[in-house]
Amino acid sequence: MRRKSFDCRRLAAAAAVGGMSLLGRAQVTEYQQHQWLNTPAASSHIGNLTGRPKAAAMVYRRYCVVCHGELGDGNGESAQWVDPKPRDFTLAIFKCRSTPTGTLPTDEDIYDTIARGLDRSNMPPWNTFTRQERADLVAWIKHFSPRWQTEKPGQRIEIPPEPEITPERIKAGQDVYARVQCWKCHGAEGRANGPSASTLQDDLGRPILPYNFAEGGRFKCGTTDRDLYRIFMTGMDGTPMPSFADNIKPEEAWNLVFYLRTLQPFPSKQKEIAKPLGLKPINPNATGP
Amino acid sequence: MNRNHKRTLVAVAAALGLASVAGLIAGNRVSAAGSGSITGTVKLSGSPPHMKGIDMSKDPYCVKQHENNPAKMENVVVGADGGLQNVVLYISEGLSGPEASATPSEEPVVDQHNCMYVPHVVAMDVNQKYKVTTTDQTTHNIHPLPAPGTGNIGWNKSQPAGAPPIETTWKAPEAISVKCNIHPWMHGWHVVVKGPYAISDASGTYTIKNLPPGSYTVTAWHEEYGTQTQKVTVAAGQPGKADFTFKAK
Amino acid sequence: MTSSRNTVLAALLSAAFLLTFSSSASALPAFARKYGLRCSACHEAWPMLNYFGQKFKDNGYQLMNDRDSPIWQNPSYWPATFRITPQWHRESTDKVSVDTALTGLQQITSHGFDLSGLDFHTGGTLEKNVSFYVLPSSDSSGNFHFETVMARLDNLFGSSWLNLKLGKFELDNLISEKRILTLTNISGVYQTYHFRPPNDSNFYGQIGDNQLGLEYMGHSADDRTRISASLLSSNDGQVGLPSSNGYTGFFSASQAFDTGRLGVQRVGFYAMAGEAPTYFLTTSGGPLATPFGNAGGRGNRSFSREGFVGLFYLGKLDFLAVTQHGSDSAYFAATPSIPANTPLPAGTQSPTWNGYMVETHYVYNPQLIFIQRSEFERVSQQGLPGVASDTGNLNMFTFGYRWYPIMNPRAGFAFHNEYSWLRQRKTAPDGSDLTSSSLFLGFDFDF
Repeated sequence: MRRKSFDCRRLAAAAAVGGMSLLGRAQVTEYQQHQWLNTPAASSHIGNLTGRPKAAAMVYRRYCVVCHGELGDGNGESAQWVDPKPRDFTLAIFKCRSTPTGTLPTDEDIYDTIARGLDRSNMPPWNTFTRQERADLVAWIKHFSPRWQTEKPGQRIEIPPEPEITPERIKAGQDVYARVQCWKCHGAEGRANGPSASTLQDDLGRPILPYNFAEGGRFKCGTTDRDLYRIFMTGMDGTPMPSFADNIKPEEAWNLVFYLRTLQPFPSKQKEIAKPLGLKPINPNATGP
Repeated sequence: MNRNHKRTLVAVAAALGLASVAGLIAGNRVSAAGSGSITGTVKLSGSPPHMKGIDMSKDPYCVKQHENNPAKMENVVVGADGGLQNVVLYISEGLSGPEASATPSEEPVVDQHNCMYVPHVVAMDVNQKYKVTTTDQTTHNIHPLPAPGTGNIGWNKSQPAGAPPIETTWKAPEAISVKCNIHPWMHGWHVVVKGPYAISDASGTYTIKNLPPGSYTVTAWHEEYGTQTQKVTVAAGQPGKADFTFKAK
Repeated sequence: MTSSRNTVLAALLSAAFLLTFSSSASALPAFARKYGLRCSACHEAWPMLNYFGQKFKDNGYQLMNDRDSPIWQNPSYWPATFRITPQWHRESTDKVSVDTALTGLQQITSHGFDLSGLDFHTGGTLEKNVSFYVLPSSDSSGNFHFETVMARLDNLFGSSWLNLKLGKFELDNLISEKRILTLTNISGVYQTYHFRPPNDSNFYGQIGDNQLGLEYMGHSADDRTRISASLLSSNDGQVGLPSSNGYTGFFSASQAFDTGRLGVQRVGFYAMAGEAPTYFLTTSGGPLATPFGNAGGRGNRSFSREGFVGLFYLGKLDFLAVTQHGSDSAYFAATPSIPANTPLPAGTQSPTWNGYMVETHYVYNPQLIFIQRSEFERVSQQGLPGVASDTGNLNMFTFGYRWYPIMNPRAGFAFHNEYSWLRQRKTAPDGSDLTSSSLFLGFDFDF
């Protein structure tokens, strides 16, 4: 029943990447995971809640295993029919984090993702769980990957308080959109139709779409301005969305948030303030800034 | 794949077992003073595969940079005499002592230039700092994709025009595939090895420096043709020699 | 004598009813296929919903991940499911009037292999936030009727508090009879949802039956708070306006509480109040053939039901509890009902009663559940004079288990084994207690 050692997909991925092995690659085994189950690293702390992995075993089996698999490797029986693919918890690479690219998320990040779900994927909002069940699930998720044994979550990215929305800021936000070339993927008007949009692939080489602001769906990692801010700074690991933390200053990031809000299809304060500006979409044919 | 490959390595090692023992004895006799090297040439036999031209029309800036100099794929770059470029050569066996653990202080640089990675393959020691820079007037994102379980963790950062270099290191030996998602043709390799290494140049020649005399196994890695190994003995004042020939598929 | 024959008739009818409807629950591999989830994601044990399944239903069969619209599905996807239950069962009733070979009251026991009716479910979304459900259901000989037909506008104005449903549907029962986990002829319905005292003729107020009407429903995003109100035709879900112009209102509200490792506890309240005709302008009380099939019901009189519901979770153990009070107009005290244009016979009163139900589940794991239920119905006021106060009082017990050896995102298969026992006071033809029992072994499957 439980698939253990031979994982075709991972071997194929490794072959595609290397063609060579400089180091024998460790497969995560059920036995290893069982060892990690009892380590302090595989518990979770969310506010005053402490999550214990074992307490989530039955919840995981009932709700999660069908996609994420017995070993948490994203190879559940439905995974082949699901797109985007379920997270492989053995890699501990997560889209929605409050921490820098390439680092582990905080317990809260995973806890929030469980309840929020991932829009436009098969991951629904599991906000019917109790808070304790979610905390336990975070712990359970952490017992799947060796990374939690050796690494600490990244430093949480500081988000300064949201400044006042002004026309200048919205205009400046558009300049950021043009300068760092968000439009290459997200399109000049945020319609996910930038020149590179059709070629994007996720880390597993599967086609993936950039976010379409004009469609107005929820963002993958939350709905608030702060959630939007966070995405530029963390990037979405596992996807083509990079971190801009080194290249967008906090001020600029807020400006960009305000500009992006004007691309959404529903009325907003930002849209109202931007109206007199008569902003034209940026010119995607301009080469360089 | 990896397993098969490992098995091959074991077989090669076993076949060379006797020679290896002999080499070790020989090595022990040589004084450890002075730093030796291994040199050689990597060649490709047979007709090299055709490298396709790259359609950069997704980004007019990139097109413009290559107006007079059409861009080609760089998976297999062969010089005049069949010398194979971009082969990483490193010591896979025989290293011990400070040479094995020392981290070089120089910083290799890979530049994003005219929407290509220059160089296409960059090599580095474990924990050796290296830089990713951009001299392009367009935004790139650098997205290394280490394989799972190697100990290396991937990341994905943007570098708009004028952005400062990204300076970073890798924890474990691995040939890491690096992509730019915005320019899907941009694909390079950041090859992390343990110990001294070299990359073959346009004529296929290389020199691995800073080796104490001894007996070593040299591994040559090429992104398309995989790996080959050879036993080499380095004596004082006499560089080891190892030529490799990869066969065109 | 007439009354006792009616009782037997009612027993037989209800047996037929059970065979027909007992499996009309909504366990939909069609949804599991659509979303790649196992039955256990939405069902504590199918067909009974868990909180996640309840939220899915309340959202209009949507997971709310913007992938619910059928446009996201493979074009060959057709949201259809059938469910049927082949079985062996044994039924036994003491004190049945027989008229050949033997005379008088005899115990009758029958057993053999049998089939349930077939449910053919189809449901899902027509578009984002427009959902539907159509369920033609047959009896065991293949005669179909429409068990559920409804379309629903979900999340109007983007608010989970505004959902409108029109058609024939199950009332917003937290403890759903259509999702019942017990399947014998006795336990296949909740007695509490259908009970009325002997002689009472008001069949309109059955909480457990699907009704025709319009429903408003609202809930919080996490479904912890739920509220619904519906306007129903007083005809017990029968199509063709068989009983004219009576309407029934149904209201329910509930609140759930997070209690940590124990789970989520929910308590709720429901009320039903309506009017139904006491006589008809056609002799049989059935619809006229022409011109509009109107039976000409007249003399509407009122009835009401009020209940409290609790769903309590203690880890693997959970309890469903209902207490319900019922009251019918005195005109319904007799069968057939007393026409409202005639004076009430002296001493006729409004029949009232109370029902109590506790169902216990032990969920060993998502694929094995043990079930026990006890129901008690107590008449508090007999409608007709001279009827002993405990006449019709009913005790029901059932216990069993369901084992789901197959539970994947394509199909569900359960082995079901259950025994039920029911005794009703003073309803045997000779005025003594009537006892029956039912044993069930079967395969319950859907695809």
